Amino acid sequence: MIFGKSLYCSFIIIACFFTVATAQNEAVATVDSVGQILPQPPGNIIVADHKYDNGGIIDIAWDRSPDDPLGIDGYNIYRACGDGDFEIVAFVLPGGMESYSFIDDKVERGESYRYKISVISSGGESFSESSVSVRGDWEFFDLDKLNILILGIIVCGSVIGFIFTARAGRKLFIRKISGLEALEEAVGRATEMGRPILFIPGILDMDDVQTLAAITILARVSRIVADYDSKIEMPVSRSLVMTTARETIKNSYLAAGRPDAYYDDMVHYVTDEQFGYVAAVNGIMVRDKPATCLYLGAFFAESLILAETGNYIGAIQIAGTARPGQLPFFVAACDYTLIGEELFAASAYLSGDPKQLGSLKGQDVGKFVAMAAMIIGTLAVTVVSAWQFKFFGWLSDLMYSMFSTN
Amino acid sequence: MGFWEQFGIWLAALFTIGIISFLYKDNVLYKACEAIFVGVSAGYWFVVYYWDMLYKKFYQQVTDPVNPEWYPWLGVILGVLMLTRLSNKIGWLSRWPLAFVVGATAGLYMMVYFVSNAIVQIQGTIVPLAEGTAGDIIANILVAAGTFCGLIYFFFSKEHRGAFGGAAKIGIWFLMITFGASFGYTVMSRMSLMIGRIDFLFGRWLELIP
Amino acid sequence: MKRTIPVIIVSVVGTVLVLSVFFPPVQTMGEDFSLFFDIIAVFAFFLGGGNLVRIHLVKIYRKRPDWGFSVVTLVGFFVTLLVGLGKLSVTGVTASVTAPDSFLQTIFVNIITPLSSTMYALLAFYVASASYRAFRAKNREATILLIAAFIILLGRTPLGMKLTGWIPEWLSILQIPNLAVWIMNAPNLAGQRAILIGVGLGVVAMSLRLILGMDRTYLGSDND
Repeated sequence: MIFGKSLYCSFIIIACFFTVATAQNEAVATVDSVGQILPQPPGNIIVADHKYDNGGIIDIAWDRSPDDPLGIDGYNIYRACGDGDFEIVAFVLPGGMESYSFIDDKVERGESYRYKISVISSGGESFSESSVSVRGDWEFFDLDKLNILILGIIVCGSVIGFIFTARAGRKLFIRKISGLEALEEAVGRATEMGRPILFIPGILDMDDVQTLAAITILARVSRIVADYDSKIEMPVSRSLVMTTARETIKNSYLAAGRPDAYYDDMVHYVTDEQFGYVAAVNGIMVRDKPATCLYLGAFFAESLILAETGNYIGAIQIAGTARPGQLPFFVAACDYTLIGEELFAASAYLSGDPKQLGSLKGQDVGKFVAMAAMIIGTLAVTVVSAWQFKFFGWLSDLMYSMFSTN
Repeated sequence: MGFWEQFGIWLAALFTIGIISFLYKDNVLYKACEAIFVGVSAGYWFVVYYWDMLYKKFYQQVTDPVNPEWYPWLGVILGVLMLTRLSNKIGWLSRWPLAFVVGATAGLYMMVYFVSNAIVQIQGTIVPLAEGTAGDIIANILVAAGTFCGLIYFFFSKEHRGAFGGAAKIGIWFLMITFGASFGYTVMSRMSLMIGRIDFLFGRWLELIP
Repeated sequence: MKRTIPVIIVSVVGTVLVLSVFFPPVQTMGEDFSLFFDIIAVFAFFLGGGNLVRIHLVKIYRKRPDWGFSVVTLVGFFVTLLVGLGKLSVTGVTASVTAPDSFLQTIFVNIITPLSSTMYALLAFYVASASYRAFRAKNREATILLIAAFIILLGRTPLGMKLTGWIPEWLSILQIPNLAVWIMNAPNLAGQRAILIGVGLGVVAMSLRLILGMDRTYLGSDND
C-alpha cells in the first residue's frame, strides 16, 4: 500500500511537473528573452497574382492576429524575391477586422516572391509562416472589361458609321442649338459696337476634355471674328492653354486671309490661381467692357462671378460647361447656355462639315442604346423581382453584366 | 499678439475690404488687390510646379543613385520642344507636344467618361421599379422616366415636335428641377462664406465680436 | 509635314491610351502621360510667366493707364519667385517649399488666402442678384427652377420645418425638409443622369473626331 501510495504520489508529481513544464513552454512561446509578452502572429497568409494586370501586382491577404486589436500597433509586410532575404515593403494599421488585404504593386513581372506578415506591439514583433511562392504574370486582355469594350465598339462604330454615311453624300438632319446659332449674331453685335469679344476657356488645363472642347470651339469663333474684323480677347489661367489658343487663333486668322490682324497678346496668361484669375477677368470686363462674353469649358465656383459681372456690363453671354453643378448659374445669368454634351457637339455643329455632323448622329445612337437598355433592363428586373417571373432572369442578368463596371 | 501676426491681420482686412469694394464699383483699392493677387499667386504656383514637378518628378527621378529612371527625359524633350515656339524658324515644332497633350487627353478620358458617366449612370437606372414602399416605387419610376425624357431632349437628329417634342419638354422640366435643386443647395453655403469674412472683419480685426 | 506629324501624334497617342484601358501590358501609359503632362506644363509656364512679365513691362514702358499696378504685379511676382525658388527660411534642399514656417507659406497664408476667401465670399452677393433676375418666372421653365430652388433652400434651414411642421405624419413627404430630400433623390437625380450620360457620349464622339484626325482645330485647320 505504501508502495502504491508512493507510486501514486510520484505519478502526481511527475504529472504536475509536465503540466508546469508545458505551461512554461507555452509561456516561453509568448515571452521573449527580456521577458516581454510577444503578440500572437497572424495566420492563413494567402498570396495570388492580381488578375488582368501587367504582371506588376500581387494580392496578399491574411487573418488577423488573435491579439488584434488590443495593444496591436500594426502589421509589417515582408517580401523576399526568389531565394533572397525578406525585406519590409509596407505597414498596415490594425482595424479590428477578421482579415486584411494588401496590394503590392511594386513587383517585377516574371519574378517569384514569398511574403511574411508580422504583427507589432509594445511587446515586440511576431512573424507568420512564409507564404507559398507566387509569380507576377500579365494577361493580354482584361476580361473584366469585355462588356465595356462591346458597348464602346457599338457607340464608336455608330459614330464612324455615320461619318462614312455623311461622306457618301447622304444629308443628315441636325436640330438647331440656339446657343450656337446666336454665336455669329453675338460676334456681329460686338463688331457693330466696336467692343471686343471675351473668350474664357475655363480654368482647367489642356488635360481636361472640356478645355479641349473649348479650344475646338475657339477655332470656329476666332474664324468668325477674323471674318468680321472684330477683336477677341482671351485671358487664360494655364500657360499650356495660352500656347494652344495662340496657335489656334493664329491659324484661324491665317485661314481667313487676315494674318496681319493677329497679334499674340490676344491670348495672355494671368495666373493659375482660380480666384486670382477671376479677379483679373472681372477687372478686364469692367474696364474693357466686351460686348460679347463666351464662357466655354470647365468652371467651378467662379462661374457665377463671371456671369454676373457680364450681366452688369450689359454683355451678351453664351456659356457652356459639362459640370452639372455650374450649369444652373449659367442658365440663370447667361443669355444662352450649352448644356453638357452640347458643349462637345459645338465644334462639329459650327463646322457644318457633314462628316463631323455625322458624329453627332453617332452620339444619338449611343443615347438610343442607353434608353433601350434602361427600358429593357428596368422592365426585366422589375418583372423578375416583383412577380418572380424567372423566365426573364437571363435578360435581367444580361443587363446587369453588360452595364457593370468591375 | 505679436507684431507680425497683427500686421498679417491688418493686411488680410485690407485685402478683404478691397475685394468687397468691387461690388460698389471698380476702384484703386480693388485694382491694387487684383495686381497683388495676380503677381503673388502666379509666382506661388510657378514655385510649387517647379519644386513638385520639375525637381521631384524629373530631377530626383533621373538622378536617383539607386534606381535612376530614364523616361522622365521624354517629358523634358517635349517641354523643350514647347519652348521652340519662341523661334519663328522652328516654332512649328511646338505643335508636337501640343498634339501629344491633345491626343493623350482625348484617348485617356474617352473611356473614363464613357464608363463613369454613361455606363455607371445607366447601371444605376436599372433597378426594380416595384420594390420598396409606395414612395420608393414612385421615385424609381420618376428617375427612369426623367432620365429617359432628359435624353430625348438632348437628341440632335430629330426636331422637337409632336410626341417627341412633348417628351423633350418633360425632359427640360426635369433639367430645370435639377438646376433649381443645385442652385438652392449652394445658396446657404455661399452665404456662409460671406458670414465667415464678416466674422473675420468684425471679430479678429476690429475685435467687436468676442 | 508640319501639320501631318501632329495629326499622326494625336492619333497614335490617343489610340494607345484608349487601348490601355483594355490591355494590361500598356496599362501604365496613363500614369506616364500624367508625368509627361506635368513636365510639359512647367515648361509651358516659362512661356506663360514670360508673357505675364512682358505684358506688364510693356504697359509700364508705354505708361498705359494703370501702369502703376503693373509695377505692383511684377514686384509681387518676382518677390514670390525669389522666396520660393530660393527656398528662403526652409532648411535643406529636400524640405518642402510649402513647409508651415517657410516664407512662401507665410505669403500664401497672409496674402493669397484672404484674397481667395473674399473673392469666394462675393458669391453670396452674386447668388442673390442672380436669384432676383432668374426668379422673375417669365416662363414655365423658370417657374419650375424657382420652385425647386426655393424648396431645396428652405429645406436646408429651420424655417422650412417651421413652415410645414403642422402637416400630419401620414403626409410627411410634403414637409419641406422631406420634400427637399425627395427632390434631390428623385427628379434631380433623373436630370443629373441625363446630363451625365450625354456628356459621356459627347466626350466619346469628340475624342473620336480628334483621334481620327477629322477635327484639327487645335492646329487651326480642318483639311484632310
